[in-house]
Amino acid sequence: MMPGWVKSKWRYFVVAALMIFLVLLPFKWFLGQYTSIMIFIGISTMITVGLCLLMGYTGQVSLGQAAYYGLGAYFSAVLSKTYGWNPWLAMVIAAIATGSFAYIIGYPIFRLRGNYLAMATLGIGLIMWVLFNQLSQYTGGPDGMSGIPYLSIGGFAFDTNFKRYFLVWFFCLAILFLSQNIVRSRTGRALRAIHGNEAAAQSLGINVTQFKVKIFVLSSVYASLAGSLFAHHLRHVSPQSFDFLASVKLVVMAVIGGLASVWGAIFGAGTTRLLSDKLLLGFNQFPQLDIIIYGLILMLVMIFTPEGLFIALKSGIKWLQLNWRHLPEIMRTQGKELPHRIKDRLTRLVPARWWRKAEP
Amino acid sequence: MSGTILETKGLTKAFGGLVAVDNVDLAIEPGRITAIIGPNGAGKTSLFNLIAGVYRPTSGDIIFNGRSLKYAPWYAKAIPPKLKQQKLLKVRLERHAPAHKRTALGIARTFQHVNLFGNMSVLENIMTGQHPRSKYGFFAAALRLPKARREEEMINLNAMKYLNMVGLGKHSGKNALSLPLGQQKLLSIARAMATEPKLILLDEPGAGLNALEKRELSDLIKRIREMGITVILVEHDMPLVMGIAEWIIVLDSGRKIAEGTAAQVQKDKKVIAAYLGEETEDA
Amino acid sequence: MSGLTQGSIYALIGLGFTIIYSVTQIINFAQGEFVMLGGMLSYILAVKSGLPIPLAILIAILIAAIVGALMYILAIRTARRASVISLIIITIGFAIFIRGIAGNQFGVNAVSPAAFTSGHSIQLGSLDAYIAPQALWIIGITFLVTIALYLFLSHTMVGKALRACAVNPGAARLVGINTKAMALIAFTIAAAIGGIGGVAIAPLTMASYGMGVMLGLKGFVAASIGGFMSPTTTVVGGIMLGIVESLAVGLDWGPFTSAYKDVIALVVLLLILLIRSGKLATAERAG
Repeated sequence: MMPGWVKSKWRYFVVAALMIFLVLLPFKWFLGQYTSIMIFIGISTMITVGLCLLMGYTGQVSLGQAAYYGLGAYFSAVLSKTYGWNPWLAMVIAAIATGSFAYIIGYPIFRLRGNYLAMATLGIGLIMWVLFNQLSQYTGGPDGMSGIPYLSIGGFAFDTNFKRYFLVWFFCLAILFLSQNIVRSRTGRALRAIHGNEAAAQSLGINVTQFKVKIFVLSSVYASLAGSLFAHHLRHVSPQSFDFLASVKLVVMAVIGGLASVWGAIFGAGTTRLLSDKLLLGFNQFPQLDIIIYGLILMLVMIFTPEGLFIALKSGIKWLQLNWRHLPEIMRTQGKELPHRIKDRLTRLVPARWWRKAEP
Repeated sequence: MSGTILETKGLTKAFGGLVAVDNVDLAIEPGRITAIIGPNGAGKTSLFNLIAGVYRPTSGDIIFNGRSLKYAPWYAKAIPPKLKQQKLLKVRLERHAPAHKRTALGIARTFQHVNLFGNMSVLENIMTGQHPRSKYGFFAAALRLPKARREEEMINLNAMKYLNMVGLGKHSGKNALSLPLGQQKLLSIARAMATEPKLILLDEPGAGLNALEKRELSDLIKRIREMGITVILVEHDMPLVMGIAEWIIVLDSGRKIAEGTAAQVQKDKKVIAAYLGEETEDA
Repeated sequence: MSGLTQGSIYALIGLGFTIIYSVTQIINFAQGEFVMLGGMLSYILAVKSGLPIPLAILIAILIAAIVGALMYILAIRTARRASVISLIIITIGFAIFIRGIAGNQFGVNAVSPAAFTSGHSIQLGSLDAYIAPQALWIIGITFLVTIALYLFLSHTMVGKALRACAVNPGAARLVGINTKAMALIAFTIAAAIGGIGGVAIAPLTMASYGMGVMLGLKGFVAASIGGFMSPTTTVVGGIMLGIVESLAVGLDWGPFTSAYKDVIALVVLLLILLIRSGKLATAERAG
């Protein structure tokens, strides 16, 4: 559901500002040094949107999303380099192949309940990763493959970061707009209905399983396109980019971005990427810091704001908009209560028996 | 008996050792308000779940508008008749129409526990009800084709119509769960109505309502009947039932023990025994 | 024989899953990490801190149990009535959090604690098969733990309370069982068993900070074969998985080399899930 302010004129202003920012970014005189990072953020956003739709609107978890990312990347890589196909054609074929795969495994998988579904997605993700490593005659094994050609239109090749930035963000924004349209439509309503109350959704003629599979296929196609763009950007793919940790990072992005939010995906992907860069810098002093922080983020966000961080922030801003006048008063009354609340929470953590005095 | 809108033949549902619905035969006449009553645990909601397609019958058949809701999958013709006798295969070869298909065929239902979509507004809940009567899909939605926009307009208009029919027109923008229980129940009925059904199953619509709300409910049900829709309701409130039901079916422990008009059922000894126990005094 | 050993390992881990799931309906994705903690800690304490081996083992298991308890108190309990998907993400978050801390503190290399008893492989009767003494320990420990667990669940008050929660939490609460305390106990026991598993496995298969993922997954497979119902079925499941895996490794057909052995477990998992979902689907619903 859209909070009130989104529908107002604010929205157009924010979107316009965002567009201007994005268009100007790669120029040297603006923020050109971030072009490379922004390309990755754009690619990640594409996958995150799919994941957000899947997790937020159907309440299903995918712990192996990186597998479809990898499928897209490898299909593109193999078809365009080893077999010399047109990279655009390769990208389309990759998307069709990934989508078909998701469709085939989708029906059996989505008959499973939550926990089992999560495990199944995890299992598939791992199987894919093992395959990427093992099928070395096609994939180049653990070292991956290089020399992937650039994408090009006619004589114009996307051979610089600058050019690829616009390519990636064109795709990314297109996907965001398409997803937004889907969410606001009859299909989106059906998805939200499934999330709200599956039994009721079914009673209104919504084929729940079919929708879940459709969204799953959609999210895998998004991931595949992102993978293809990734392959043509880095010109090298290897299995490390598509392991369990990659899937976890995608879940972190989705969780920060808001599980049922389309535009929040940019926020999620952006903050996660920037965060991961900072964390990797601190690696020397504090190894494995990145996964420690990811673990903390996942736990804290899901415990306190299960609808996703971005959505919670939006609600928080809206609350502030309505209540900013009362803020001093609220802080005073809450401040008085706070020590009591903390004490109450702490004592409730430990079973009462343990600190109660001796009983008769 | 032709002319019935819904028939069940030998309908049975067993959960392991517990038989919730035991060999029930029903014949529901179209355009009438039929009530199903019985003491707690008699199997009323299970019966609804069977008709609505949420439960799969252990045995028996359901016929809606002359068409059986049981069918054999496309590959059944290829299997020789001898194999078909095998009990194991019988489960695989007997398919029952799933719940969402039945809604498309014209069976709608409401739930005991309302089951509104808490993540949507009042109007959006009803618009979701229009789902089986609209067509545009993924691509048209993603690209915002004119076809999609036109259908959205229709859905919007129809939803407002149903919303006004239950008198909740001015609450259209509010979150569905912000309404008091009585209005939530009306909303859930409006939502079921939006699927443009021929038969509507109301599961304890009067539960939790006060006297005034119950009278509004009765009026609403009568108006639904005026629209030509057949109503079956499960209800515990006897005055409500006796006031509007033209035909009453009584269940006890999964079995149908009596049926008839309100007057007939009230005097039936079996019914009295079911509700009050074996020892009864002459009324 | 290595199938039996591997199977026992998976059985032990699977027990942890079964206990937590049956009492709380939660799948603990962090189960593998308890195993990792047991293995890593026993090494660290024995080798780096110079504690005598039995003491190191005991403390390692204790720490694993405490971590399990903390996981429940800090992560699960505070997220009261969270949805299934939230809980899944929370347990995963905890798992990688623990893994990160372990990687941070213990480094990324694999370590190999000393075996419980030294000595060469024992020849099995007249067969041309050898089994390492540690493997016997593993099988034996699994056996003991299973029996201990079974006795605990059937003969002690707490055990019976746990089973009550597993069967019907609502009813259990009504008769005065503190379901939250039971859940805490379940997590602690599961973590302890995981720790025991880790301690036993590490001398044989080495321990590293990342061993939790695969082991956890395979333990989950073992538990799902057993249906998450009881310790015995889980152990049976684990052993079956172990044997299937070792048979598959022996088969070297086509492009499938032994590196695919991990995939076997995953494929088995998916098959099991499909079969179960099939049962669930046709039982109640139509279509």
